[in-house]
Amino acid sequence: MKALTVIESILRNRYQHFVAIRDGEDVPTKLRAMLLSSILLAAVYGAVLGSSHSVLQALSSAVKLPILFLATLAICSPTLYFFQILFGSRQTIGQSFCLMLTAVTVTAVLLVAFAPVVLFFLLTTADYQLFKLLNVAVFAIAGLRGVAFLSEGIKIVAANEQGAKARRTVVRAWVLLYGLVGSQMAWALRPFVGAPSLPFELFRNLGGSFYANVFASLGEILGFWTVH
Amino acid sequence: MSDQPTPRRSQNADEVLDLLLDALLERNAQRRRRAAATQKPAPAKAPKPEAQAKPEDASEPPPQREPRPGDADWTPPPAVPTMGLHRLIWRMLLAVLVVTVLINIPVTRYGVSLARILPDKQQLVVRDGLLLKGSGPEVYRLEDEKLRWVSSLDAFHHLGLAWDDVHQVDDAYLDTFERGEPIHVLLKCRTSPHIYRLEGDQKRWIKDMATFRVEGHQWDEVRFVDCDYLDSIPLRTPIPASAGMPPDSN
Repeated sequence: MKALTVIESILRNRYQHFVAIRDGEDVPTKLRAMLLSSILLAAVYGAVLGSSHSVLQALSSAVKLPILFLATLAICSPTLYFFQILFGSRQTIGQSFCLMLTAVTVTAVLLVAFAPVVLFFLLTTADYQLFKLLNVAVFAIAGLRGVAFLSEGIKIVAANEQGAKARRTVVRAWVLLYGLVGSQMAWALRPFVGAPSLPFELFRNLGGSFYANVFASLGEILGFWTVH
Repeated sequence: MSDQPTPRRSQNADEVLDLLLDALLERNAQRRRRAAATQKPAPAKAPKPEAQAKPEDASEPPPQREPRPGDADWTPPPAVPTMGLHRLIWRMLLAVLVVTVLINIPVTRYGVSLARILPDKQQLVVRDGLLLKGSGPEVYRLEDEKLRWVSSLDAFHHLGLAWDDVHQVDDAYLDTFERGEPIHVLLKCRTSPHIYRLEGDQKRWIKDMATFRVEGHQWDEVRFVDCDYLDSIPLRTPIPASAGMPPDSN
């Protein structure tokens, strides 16, 4: 439970949080706390997601969702770190990772904040495509808010440093990259919800793409076609 | 008649307004000259009407913008005291987790939990291999957007299908699909050369290999079974119907 105190510090005292990262205060402690919190929060939300299919799917999603976030971060963090260095950053990799993990933690908290809504829809609608799209929307909102925190953090940390403006532009481009990698990673690790007419699968084959699937689901909900 | 303005009054008002306008224009020109003298860039937007109405403010320096996060002179606001948000998050996590566990506990004798208790007609993802059943006993398997009738229980088991995967739907929903060739299972016992096609709970002898091929069968459809079991299945018209009875038993 102690690890969760970092969430209050991020949400209510975000400026102090970012200034502390900039000044290198307690970075390992913050990293540990955010890592634990985001794993715990994402796991709970994963369990909610998978519950619409089966107990096995709930357990599988509880493991896969934290992996999704952390693997995406691991893949994208070197790009941001080295580009920040290129444009004059003096941060260590730990400070940089701490900033990025702040975004993941905020995203995970917001996901759990949406969990009661998702549970409500899970219990009251049998429409798989609707449930899937609801979760895409929830992930989009939480993810965007998370990267907005990162952007704010970079702004504070980069103040008084060379190339601050260029680095803010780099962050914007990186956010796009992060979204692309994240959605592809989600597609590779799917299913998280689990199609009701399919048996439980840990992973599904890699055919198709995340965006095509979202588009197809949207079309089915609007009555244009049936997803095959 | 007395409340009508006289032409003289109207003229006075016009004169006063003209004077005011002249004064405003003059003040504005003075301000521009001052701005040019100090070589400050002209504002991009035209001065707001309030600024024109209050020319006495023009001599004051423009208000400084509050430093924002990322500005060099920005300092973070004082930290707000804790309100135990971590405890709230912890309780919320526990509550979500408890609800998730509860809705996964089976509540019906078929082992269905609350999370999956709603009728799943809308949840069907139409795909090859989907098993559907209407109001009758027939089970259909969807292949290439065609419904293929699984002609017997043996065929069902032979294909490795499970009853849990069969989705009960309305007959009207079944009618939206085109019907394909039925899925049969072919039975053979080791001591007999004959191959039988199982349809429902009856077997039909396939006369020869030519008929076997014409009917579109393949060897992987043939399932070897115990001869006594094969014997116990009632015989129906052979394929083709003119073939007569099989030469010997089995």
